[in-house]
Amino acid sequence: MTDDRTPHSEIRHRFDTELDGIKHASVALGSLVLENAGRLAEALLESRVDLAQQVIDADDPVDRAYIDLERRVFRVIALQQPVASDLRFLISIIRVAHEIERSGDLVVNCAKGILRQQGFHLGSQMQGVLARLCRAALELFARGIDSLADMDPEAGQRLDHEDDVVDTLVGEFYTLLATEAEGMPVDTAIELSRVGRYMERIADHAVNIGEHIGFAVTGIFPRHGNIDEQ
Amino acid sequence: MNDDRGNERAEAAARADGEGRPAARAISVGGVLRNGRPAEPSAQDIIFDVQGLRVFYGSFQAVADTTLAIREHEITALIGPSGCGKTTVLRCFNRMNDLIESARVEGTIRYHGADIYGEKVDPVEVRRRVGMVFQKPNPFPKSIYDNIAFGPRIAGFKGNMGELVEQSLVRAALWDEVKDKLKQSAYALSGGQQQRLCIARAIATSPDVLLMDEPCSSLDPIATLRIEELMIELTRDYSIIIVTHNMQQAARVSDRTAFFTVDVKETGMRTGRLVEFDATDVIFTRPNQKQTEDYITGRFG
Repeated sequence: MTDDRTPHSEIRHRFDTELDGIKHASVALGSLVLENAGRLAEALLESRVDLAQQVIDADDPVDRAYIDLERRVFRVIALQQPVASDLRFLISIIRVAHEIERSGDLVVNCAKGILRQQGFHLGSQMQGVLARLCRAALELFARGIDSLADMDPEAGQRLDHEDDVVDTLVGEFYTLLATEAEGMPVDTAIELSRVGRYMERIADHAVNIGEHIGFAVTGIFPRHGNIDEQ
Repeated sequence: MNDDRGNERAEAAARADGEGRPAARAISVGGVLRNGRPAEPSAQDIIFDVQGLRVFYGSFQAVADTTLAIREHEITALIGPSGCGKTTVLRCFNRMNDLIESARVEGTIRYHGADIYGEKVDPVEVRRRVGMVFQKPNPFPKSIYDNIAFGPRIAGFKGNMGELVEQSLVRAALWDEVKDKLKQSAYALSGGQQQRLCIARAIATSPDVLLMDEPCSSLDPIATLRIEELMIELTRDYSIIIVTHNMQQAARVSDRTAFFTVDVKETGMRTGRLVEFDATDVIFTRPNQKQTEDYITGRFG
């Protein structure tokens, strides 16, 4: 059997190396978006139009990395016919990559709002809530990427709990916006409400990433249970 | 995926879920068979009930304690590395191992409740009901017609032989290709056609189970696809147990899959052992045993 295994294992080794490469590429994609999201927070809170433009410009490498990752996954599925944990991993990576790429687009959408408004010049209370919201959403997104790097099966449930903090802050932000909107131009109020919405969505994508990783590791997807019950 | 977790949470809270989160019930992705039937049918569906099967060749134990149930109108695949005993187990289902002098079978295999290794059971009758298709197409050196008619003639078939031959060839999806050359030698057929002829020959004696030992290993992908389609078609009337080294084939056609491995003892004795038996989609998406996972993902050893 040893003789049979030698060439076989070499082929598997190459496959494993490619799977590792795909995982690293997906974490790298997440890091790109995370870095851009950090830039966005600074642009938002310090009314930095120049940084907002940098955020927009930095989206091209994200898109390229996303497309490249997707191609790698398709190729390995076609050539290796993966099953079981390998298949779950690759399917999950496709999903995770989509969540990351969408988050990247939301970051860019926020940056475009900053450009349109030439920066948000907010009162201190509004500024404070927005800062906390950005921090909470981006922290959650970072944890989503961590769950991918660690292949953490528990992350989905944990991140779902932590998402409550973001949702509360979004509520707080909207309440404050409703009272302060009277004193600001309509388009500014609309742009700010979009920022709140985008931050909420970025956090949601992070929770989804955690759930996809849980599925990759365990083969169990909590949401499937709910669908089957309907 | 979830487009709006905030709204979902509100809806979940409205359903008075304690923590305001959607109630998650963890279930496996698998458990549904090829034809959409549930993975746990009733006991009446069991055609072969195998309990504690052990097979020996002299003092050498080829297969360790195997317990599994084969269901009617399903395709059951037996997979595993060379020497894992899958073909030996397959040959137990129609007592083919009786033909090997040193072979000894222990445990029970109940066919519709009756032990096929019972004292009064005629192995020839077992083989009539449980037909076999081999790895390499092995038509007799006779005409296409006589290949099909041979078995029924020996069994004393008194009906309309022409009809039986036609019916068998139709069921084996070969009739249209051979209806004008029934008197020609079976050897004139292609490999894929010869294998379908062997399937037609096997079903001519009205079995209700077909055993297939790597039936496509000598066929090209197109002929393989035809046999696979035929197998699925045949499950309307028959139950099929197939040994295959082609895991994609097991995944494509079977309802359930049994994974066997080989244990090597210090003495060098190699004994096959059933590791896992489950719905095929479970085996190929979320196997419960690490050995199964390692084998199907190509990481065994």
